[in-house]
Amino acid sequence: MANKKGKGLKGLALTRRQLMAGAGGLAATSIVSWSASAQQAKEAPEFVQLVADKKLPPLAERLPKIPLVVTPVERVGRYGGQIRRGLRGSADHNGILRMVGNQGLTRWNLEFTDVLPSVAHKWDVSADSSEFTFHLRPGMKWSDGHPFTADDIVFVFEDCLANTELYKTPPALWTIGGQMCKVSKVDDVTVKFKFAGPYGMFLQQMATPLGQHPTLFPKHYCTKFHPKYVQNTADLAKAANVPDWGALFRLRCGDIEIPSRWGNPEKPTLDPWTIAEPYTGGATRVVLKRNPYFWQVDTEGNQLPYVDGIVFGISQDVESLMLDVVSGKIDIQERHIDTLQNKPTVAQSAQRGNYRLFETINANSQQMAIYPNLCHKDAAIRAILNNKDFRSALSHGINRQEIIDIVYLGQSQPWQFGPRPTHPWYHEKFGRQFTEYDPKKSNELLDKLGYTRRDGQNIRLRPDGQKLFFAIDVIPTLYPDQVDALELVKRHWSAIGIDVKINTIERALYYTRGDNNDHDFAVWQGPGGLEPLIDARDWVAIHPQGSRFGLPWATWYVSNGRDGQEPPENHKRRMKLYDEARSISDVKRQGVLMKEILDLATDAFDAMGICLAPNLFGIANNRLRNVPAKMPGAWSWPNPGPSLPQQYFFTG
Amino acid sequence: MLGFIIKRLLWMVPSLIAVSFLAFVLIQLPPGDYVTTYIATLAASNEIVDQNAAAELRSRFGLDQPFLFQYVKWISGVILRGDFGLSFEWQQPVSELIWERMALTLVVTISTLILTWAIAFPIGVYSAVRQYSIGDYVTTFIGFLGLAVPSFLLALVMMYVAVVQFGQDVGGLFSPEFQTAPWSWGKVENLLEHLWVPVVILATNGTASLIRIMRANMLDELHKPYVTTARAKGLSEFRLLLKYPVRLAVNPFISTIGWLLPNLVSGALIVAVVLSLPTAGPLLLQSLMSQDMYLAGAFVLLMCTLTLVGTLLSDILLALVDPRIRFD
Repeated sequence: MANKKGKGLKGLALTRRQLMAGAGGLAATSIVSWSASAQQAKEAPEFVQLVADKKLPPLAERLPKIPLVVTPVERVGRYGGQIRRGLRGSADHNGILRMVGNQGLTRWNLEFTDVLPSVAHKWDVSADSSEFTFHLRPGMKWSDGHPFTADDIVFVFEDCLANTELYKTPPALWTIGGQMCKVSKVDDVTVKFKFAGPYGMFLQQMATPLGQHPTLFPKHYCTKFHPKYVQNTADLAKAANVPDWGALFRLRCGDIEIPSRWGNPEKPTLDPWTIAEPYTGGATRVVLKRNPYFWQVDTEGNQLPYVDGIVFGISQDVESLMLDVVSGKIDIQERHIDTLQNKPTVAQSAQRGNYRLFETINANSQQMAIYPNLCHKDAAIRAILNNKDFRSALSHGINRQEIIDIVYLGQSQPWQFGPRPTHPWYHEKFGRQFTEYDPKKSNELLDKLGYTRRDGQNIRLRPDGQKLFFAIDVIPTLYPDQVDALELVKRHWSAIGIDVKINTIERALYYTRGDNNDHDFAVWQGPGGLEPLIDARDWVAIHPQGSRFGLPWATWYVSNGRDGQEPPENHKRRMKLYDEARSISDVKRQGVLMKEILDLATDAFDAMGICLAPNLFGIANNRLRNVPAKMPGAWSWPNPGPSLPQQYFFTG
Repeated sequence: MLGFIIKRLLWMVPSLIAVSFLAFVLIQLPPGDYVTTYIATLAASNEIVDQNAAAELRSRFGLDQPFLFQYVKWISGVILRGDFGLSFEWQQPVSELIWERMALTLVVTISTLILTWAIAFPIGVYSAVRQYSIGDYVTTFIGFLGLAVPSFLLALVMMYVAVVQFGQDVGGLFSPEFQTAPWSWGKVENLLEHLWVPVVILATNGTASLIRIMRANMLDELHKPYVTTARAKGLSEFRLLLKYPVRLAVNPFISTIGWLLPNLVSGALIVAVVLSLPTAGPLLLQSLMSQDMYLAGAFVLLMCTLTLVGTLLSDILLALVDPRIRFD
């Protein structure tokens, strides 16, 4: 695995010329393999009849001239069947996104190390990584048969993302130095993205869900709701019972992460399946049907997807989803059921439910990060928490192995932060420092710091006579395991004379306390294990809701120094290095910069963790093939989407 | 009578306004707002919301405006235009969302009510007439058992048994093939096949208290002199029971109509969530959990209206059935 990743990352470290040649080469191979099999190109039986009845153009006219050729995971499949999958009752639109909706200009490889051609079949990058030219697939069509061209992408940027009535500020992904990229059409199948400065991570960002705007809004359809193209948008909005045209536009055309993206069966998409029964407030299920114009084929030239459609049942309650899983009523599922606590039940019922388990590589680094608030409002507590010896005493005071054995069923190892051990940027000291259980050392350190006086319960006292007491914020409904783990931490820490209150709170309060900088400690899962540069919140204070050891520092960083608090020198250096790493596309150099960042973070030791986030699992029906036995699980790699569900198929 | 009804109707207006304001305050009380909850929900699956987008959502929904302004904007829409606002989560008009689920909610609630009555009424009468008999003890025991077992637990157990032992699909109200099919006899049959599960579960829970009330009321009446008189005059026992004591003891049944109507929306909430019923309850719960203000507000307002209307209805009915109340 590590070896593979290394190769993949080296593959990324290409100069512009190499990249062009490489992409060209890729395109060439796909043309060759395509023309070889164009004659016997096959399609789903349902379309054969429609074509014969002249209700649908023949396959050759529906596919682009250069379709994306997908190599199946196991073997070439057969058409037919419906994938059954589950959604949760509320706010689960991303459950659909993860399965069908990740058709960006680029896409991830299965190893999550490199980007591959997707909607764009090749691209050129300028030497300073600020200009990107994408070559689209000539003859590619939306799901209603209308051509997909550069105009669609220009429309998205000029008329949608830049329109302040629709997007008050454009999404952060498309801005560099506060300026949105300029997108221009070179010809029908070529678009150029120009940024105000270098943007090294751009191609990777385009493969993530938030990078899918370019392919989200079909111009010929969405202009029907846009005041630049039609006069009567106010009347249309009124007729649809929504306040303004912006609401109408979002209702009909959706956005990346809102339910209405899946609520309009009329909206053309580039997805393998399109909405037949929409996801709306009253829905009890969502059904998607095969897109006749889908632009991908397998190695034998069969048009994908193999499976006729997807049926998402909506369970109000995750337990009833579990019941569906164990009774074999679900064909593939990992979302909502993949907790370690569920694993024994799911594994036990595998035979009865006729399914197998597959592994999802946890993209998180830390299962439970404990963030001390280094910017605490109370000066006395701030001084205590900012002492590195104090924090290392706390870290040494935790019996991580006990927590792993009891709470995580022995499936992990003691761990702090950083890229996972399988990652090429793995930083051993950052990952392992202060993880040995050594209460004697903790006590020595705390004594040396002057907390020698104790109260009746044997809790240490601060010099001002108060107890050494902290509240730890945790959300029990989100991660019940963290409450269990904290109970053990509380016991371990009381043994070294530190008193802790496990502050179980509701999630919105958790965020509000963070926004107000009210917490002493907070726990959360630590991300960035597989994508240390895309999600670096635990080693650089860049995320104003996520870098919980120093949220005001992150605000300072995001606002370019206008708000928040100025961080110490060590942090400022990390922020500078991080900015540099993000602006270049040379992965080797990025690795060097990342090592510097992690060295500084190791030295600072901002926060502590318990154990490496254990790998999770999913289930797949035994008849459903081409599901990889192992795939990453992350938001940036929105599993199972990048494993290409369009090439899953049912055996007879 | 007419004056009484008009007076009651007029009193509803200030109570509704007060209640709508209170509802709005209550929904606002928890920390954070819809956007915070939304971010937190997505974060639970390690999904990230674009930071500009979050700020934008807040201003688009008017969450950055003062509370009173939000309230006045909403309530004036409700009163002047009958517009309950847009659900934050679904970006659909609130009224559309609620009505969509009303029909099936009505079916479930009313069938439950009928079954509850059908069980509780005869058993209540029987156990009063045969007080301290074996039959009385047995039915009382079963009734209390039904009351004591939490209905969601019963639902979970029944689902587990049905799924694991019989391989049956009990969640929801329709089989997959009928879920979105237009109404037909087949669909009605399919509904009936699924309907009995929630109805039985819910009725088990509701019968015990009604049995006890019926029994107690009957016992009060059975020993009154008019019963003895009627019996002395040679009236058959069955006719006697139904014509005099039962008629008086039936009042609490009519009173239940008062809380039946708000139950349409909020009743059986947990059971509906467990069984994935497409009724209004789960939607109400969702809207409260995600702080989807206008949807939740509309639900609470609807429930209050129904309570008020229901109380009025049951008062009128009581007055019709029981002359004593009329003459007060």
